[in-house]
Amino acid sequence: MTVCLAPGGAAAAELTPQQQVEGQLMCYCGCAGLTVRVCTCGTADGLRDEIRTRLAAGETPDQVVAAYVARHGEKIRSAPTKRGFDLLAWVTPFAALLLAGSALVLLVRRWGRAGAVAAARESSDAPGGPPPPTTEERRLLDRVRREIEETR
Amino acid sequence: MADFGTLCLLVALAASGWAVIASYNGWRAASGELVLSAERAVYAASGLVALAVACLESCILTDRFELEYVASYSNRALPLPYKLAALWAGQSGSILFWLFILCCYAAGITFLNRRRNRPLMPIVVTTLAVVMTFFLVLVNFMARPFVRLAFTPVDGNGMNPQLQNPFMAIHPPCLYLGYVGLTVPFAFAIAALATGSLGDAWFRSTRRWTIFSWFFLGTGVLLGGWWAYVELGWGGYWAWDPVENASLIPWLTCTAFLHSVMIEERKKMLRVWNLSLVIMSFLLAILGTFITRSGVISSVHSFTKSEIGPVFAGFLGLSVVVSIGLLLYRLPLLRSVHRLDSFVSRESSFLFNNLLLVGAAFAVLWGTLFPILSEAVRGVKITVGPPFFNAVMVPIAFGLVTLAGICPVIAWRRASPRRLLDKLQVPLWALAGGAAALLAAGIRDPYAVVSFALAVFVIAATVMEFYWGTRSRHRVTGQSHAAAFLSLVDRNKRRYGGFTVHLGFMLIVIGITGSSAFKQEATASLLRGESFSVGGYSMRFEDVVREDTPNHEFMGARVTVSRDGRQAGTLVPGQNFYKTGQDPSTEVDIRYSLRDDLYLILTGFNPRDGRATFKAYLNPLINWIWIGGGVLILGAWFAMLPDLRERRRESEARLLEAQSRAA
Repeated sequence: MTVCLAPGGAAAAELTPQQQVEGQLMCYCGCAGLTVRVCTCGTADGLRDEIRTRLAAGETPDQVVAAYVARHGEKIRSAPTKRGFDLLAWVTPFAALLLAGSALVLLVRRWGRAGAVAAARESSDAPGGPPPPTTEERRLLDRVRREIEETR
Repeated sequence: MADFGTLCLLVALAASGWAVIASYNGWRAASGELVLSAERAVYAASGLVALAVACLESCILTDRFELEYVASYSNRALPLPYKLAALWAGQSGSILFWLFILCCYAAGITFLNRRRNRPLMPIVVTTLAVVMTFFLVLVNFMARPFVRLAFTPVDGNGMNPQLQNPFMAIHPPCLYLGYVGLTVPFAFAIAALATGSLGDAWFRSTRRWTIFSWFFLGTGVLLGGWWAYVELGWGGYWAWDPVENASLIPWLTCTAFLHSVMIEERKKMLRVWNLSLVIMSFLLAILGTFITRSGVISSVHSFTKSEIGPVFAGFLGLSVVVSIGLLLYRLPLLRSVHRLDSFVSRESSFLFNNLLLVGAAFAVLWGTLFPILSEAVRGVKITVGPPFFNAVMVPIAFGLVTLAGICPVIAWRRASPRRLLDKLQVPLWALAGGAAALLAAGIRDPYAVVSFALAVFVIAATVMEFYWGTRSRHRVTGQSHAAAFLSLVDRNKRRYGGFTVHLGFMLIVIGITGSSAFKQEATASLLRGESFSVGGYSMRFEDVVREDTPNHEFMGARVTVSRDGRQAGTLVPGQNFYKTGQDPSTEVDIRYSLRDDLYLILTGFNPRDGRATFKAYLNPLINWIWIGGGVLILGAWFAMLPDLRERRRESEARLLEAQSRAA
């Protein structure tokens, strides 16, 4: 796999300002869902030319994006901003995962304790049960367990 | 013919409605006759819907343009396979097709269970018939496929050019088989809840049908990606379009179920969670159809829009209320003792896998629906596009990939840390070696390094699982290694089928990483004889090619390709100009190889100066996505094959259940 990858590796480059702006804007030609960067329609061609001209005239990528937002509205941004209400879009999935993850850790711990208590009860329930295994028996049991696990 | 089709759908509605009433009342009154009558009504309704589908297909094939549907989505010159596929090219046809698949499932399930699962069947039939009735109401009153025009056009408008692609002919049926298939486990879950028969019977049926739906849903998603790649002409395969997302979300929750159901099988816990996952998957499939068909979120797939949105929303709401109500009602019966033997065990790792899978489903759903929320709260419609999904999903995907490497290695119940480290030794060395090799090869993109290294880790862990199993079987039975391997996988189809699915998934991860992190592009406007290059490829514009078919006229450019100075074939990208006057479609040409694809698009041609404009993409490793998809499909297929050991376990479980009932 590394051999396959080698030629691509050196070629991966940082995004140019042009590509950055194109990636931040959606094409509005009707083939919704594609950014200006990847859309192949005539509208996107025109937009790319216009972006090139603006950047060449000295505008920063942020200024170019802001100009398009002013002209076409928020909808032209390819992703929500990280300010105000739109910040919710970014934060919620991770917050939900974090919350659910913490709850799960607590649950798993509780269930683990319940399992340990049950195991202890089972062993104390049988005081006259078989004597603890000898070292040799333990070694054999271990091997059986391992083989069962492997063939399962 | 059209009148007959309309009549069939009307009578089918009556039959399906009767199936709901008879089945439910038959269950309430414990009347076998009513239940039998309901089952026959399901067969009747299914037969009638099949006749309606045959009528519509026949109208399309015989160019009956007096029908609005035929005139809108077909024309005389449309090739035969696409005429057949025109059934699902538009709104009402695709809803009819959806209904037809549902009817096939309903009739099949009713027939297969004519002697099995009898206590559950009345409610299973009721649930299936309710869903059938809902779709029959849609095709009878809202999205009617047999509407006549006031006049008969000479020819039809033809099919959307982008749909005229072999993938598009098989992608929707696959996806629908998956989506609609989720109704079956849902029906069993509802039946188990309603009847209180929450033993093993429901989830045996449920698990089998969930794998089936998961398989088709996944295949449909992959084919959709492939279609987008070869047809849409932007060089990618996944745009996080709402409709693509809608098919991914239930697939993720199904994947979660297929893992967590194993805990239920072994430890009899998580029953509420598993029921919730089944219900959630069905509701998400309906939500997906709602998104596709209502045009609620404008997207490339919303070719058709109509007023069925509110009805869909109502049905969805009703399903949510009934499902949650039943789940709450049966909570006392569903309480099970939750115990884990250890924090480090297969069970707990599956719980975290579920967390990430459902978290991923939630993240995609959240991003898909956020524009509606934003519009409702701020009054501003925004876009949640690829940059958002890539940023949110990549970390979650890394977590999932890591777990795919660790879960199979951890033992059930309790894993000893020493043994775990033993088993992880080779994968961890592979991870370190892979990362070092990537860095040595000059790859500095951190995402790419992490992603490739994790994929190598999982592949090594999975291959080692095959190795350990074969070795220990060889030792125990004395068979040759090859025979031990074959009997090992044959005796544990679910386990090794599942591992093969993991391997396929990793190849997909490699393909996605390669094609997104190392993609290169170039644009050029050339006269005949001029060249441009991307990656190691050089492309020379030779001449213009024209081709005339009854359906369209093709105008393309012949481009000779060479790699490192050596000839590497000819590509002819172009555009199709349809005689029905639809917008021209871009026809890309691709030079496929395992190392990379050269993806060439003719974006424009100026006949005055003879200048052709090209866009070329170099997509490294992209074909591993489709190869991985193939491996994934093979693995899933293998896991679905009948398993003797599992059958024995099931019959033992059935016997135990019967004994405990008798006692």
